[in-house]
Amino acid sequence: MDELTLTFLFIGALLILLGSGIWVAVSLIGVAALGMMMFTSRPVGDAMATTIWGSSSSWTLTALPLFIWMGEILFRTRLSEDLFRGLAPLLRRLPGGLLHVNIAGCAVFAAISGSSAATVATVGKMSIPELRKRRYPESMITGTLAGAGTLGLLIPPSIILIIYGVTVNESIARLFIAGILPGILLALMFMGYVATWGVIRRRRGLETESLEAIGTVKQALLLVPVILLIVAVMSSIYTGVATATEAAVLGVIGALLLSALQGSLNRTSFTASLLGATRTSAMIAFILAGSAFLSLSMGFTGLPRGLAEWIAGLDLSPWMLIVALTIFYIILGCFLDGISAVVLTMAVIEPLIRQAGFDMIWFGIFLVVVVEMAQITPPIGFNLFVLQGMTGHDMGFIARSALPMFLIMVVGVALLSFFPGIATYLPEAMARR
Amino acid sequence: MSRTVGRPLPSGRDAMHVFLTRLDNALNRLYTGSGYVAAFFLVAIGLLVFANIVTRVVSGYIPGLTQYSGYAMAASSFFGLAYTFQHNEHIRVEILLSHLRGRARWIAELWCLGVATVVAGFLAWYLCRLVYFSWVFQEHSEGADATLLWIPQSGAMLGAVVLTICVLHRLVATAAGREHDKNADGDG
Repeated sequence: MDELTLTFLFIGALLILLGSGIWVAVSLIGVAALGMMMFTSRPVGDAMATTIWGSSSSWTLTALPLFIWMGEILFRTRLSEDLFRGLAPLLRRLPGGLLHVNIAGCAVFAAISGSSAATVATVGKMSIPELRKRRYPESMITGTLAGAGTLGLLIPPSIILIIYGVTVNESIARLFIAGILPGILLALMFMGYVATWGVIRRRRGLETESLEAIGTVKQALLLVPVILLIVAVMSSIYTGVATATEAAVLGVIGALLLSALQGSLNRTSFTASLLGATRTSAMIAFILAGSAFLSLSMGFTGLPRGLAEWIAGLDLSPWMLIVALTIFYIILGCFLDGISAVVLTMAVIEPLIRQAGFDMIWFGIFLVVVVEMAQITPPIGFNLFVLQGMTGHDMGFIARSALPMFLIMVVGVALLSFFPGIATYLPEAMARR
Repeated sequence: MSRTVGRPLPSGRDAMHVFLTRLDNALNRLYTGSGYVAAFFLVAIGLLVFANIVTRVVSGYIPGLTQYSGYAMAASSFFGLAYTFQHNEHIRVEILLSHLRGRARWIAELWCLGVATVVAGFLAWYLCRLVYFSWVFQEHSEGADATLLWIPQSGAMLGAVVLTICVLHRLVATAAGREHDKNADGDG
């Protein structure tokens, strides 16, 4: 068999395993083993054991379970209730009113949880009933939630950025810092859209919301400790006082103190948060172990090099490459969650990106925004399914509501590509310190 | 069933049933127990990293702390595998599966579990070999800790073995037509 046939067999095997519902990590290991058997005569199993042991016992990985644990602890505090009552008095006078709570709430919660499905579910649980009571249009409620929920993947500490950093061997601390400005930019763009919508509605005299107070400015103070915690974690990374992992430990300690002060820390909630973090991190670590083995196997197949050469031969401009990759990831996002999409493709895409001369930190942020976008791409996207479950609307309605947010994210990706400094300025400033 | 005098001896089938139920419970407890071990190592990671911060603040030095936290990471991940599988929290693409019903779904699940058993077994077997050779050659870590590598590697090995048992257990149970209850922690 020639190389091309083998390559197709290889990719076909991966698609069949993944598509038929086999667990992602298991598929990665299976395909990697198959690939090594087809392309080399090296001992497959021993190479697998050494690679998987090496990647699983790496020190850089330890930031992952700790940040997940921090999120799990905060998730079990009264935070989600405080979020609505605290933000509402601050934001309700803006045009578009309480819809801004959806966006700001997601942005704050995103900083804590790092998972976009969890962000949508938590913020939506509180805000959907309140917004419905005040007769905001359903399409705006659903749309803002879908869009802003994706901030969970970007605003640090983001789980997916840790995974990207570990996979391509880039500094997690710099990636975190790079994610701050694009995250804020996207949140502001979403809010700008809501405000414009609010102004137009006001002009048409369609404003139905009562200005009945909900929560007090005093309650906004409840959010201060959580925001302080996030700021402390991020600035310890930025100033170089702590590595990403060390900042994560400080975050866990802070989260424990916070939930103890709130009175929500007890034996049950502690155990639940710890076991929840154990499961999530075991799930991700298994995928990462599989991907380390797949990268090794891919190296033997020559597939990444072949692809990189093929793309180089096409003589695409960097712009066309970016557009092509964006489309590629959006399609992938219809079938895969963000983490699997990143892990699965980086073995092949990384050499390509390095050869094309992109900054790997910038590309990480670009990748995460695009993967986020894929989560709300109509008609199929992961966050859309979560919202379908929560609002009871059909998929067509949810997809239409999310479309403006999707378009805003397209603009966001374009801005990020035209002005790479949005992502790279802060990490470079950090390096100069 | 009350214990009356005239109660017949359990037939072979009943005895088999009792044995299988007990085995089932014992195995579920094994997965949950291994999850608790994983959680213990997660806390250990936190403590080791914290110790690292403290020693730096007081300008002290404990050799090998970073390696130890790496070992704890591996132990936590691998011991957590079966427990996570038990709770259905490993990611999979469910688009096709969610459209299948009845017998087709059953066959698809068997296929997935079959492949997973083979892969988990493969992984477990070669991790056993890794530990065995590290032990035979008394390999030490290259880091400042100079740990005998078979010790931390055994954690990964045991986790992979328990995962294999867990997946095989589910395969057999599914083949026998039983629904999976993800909250079965082996207490009942």
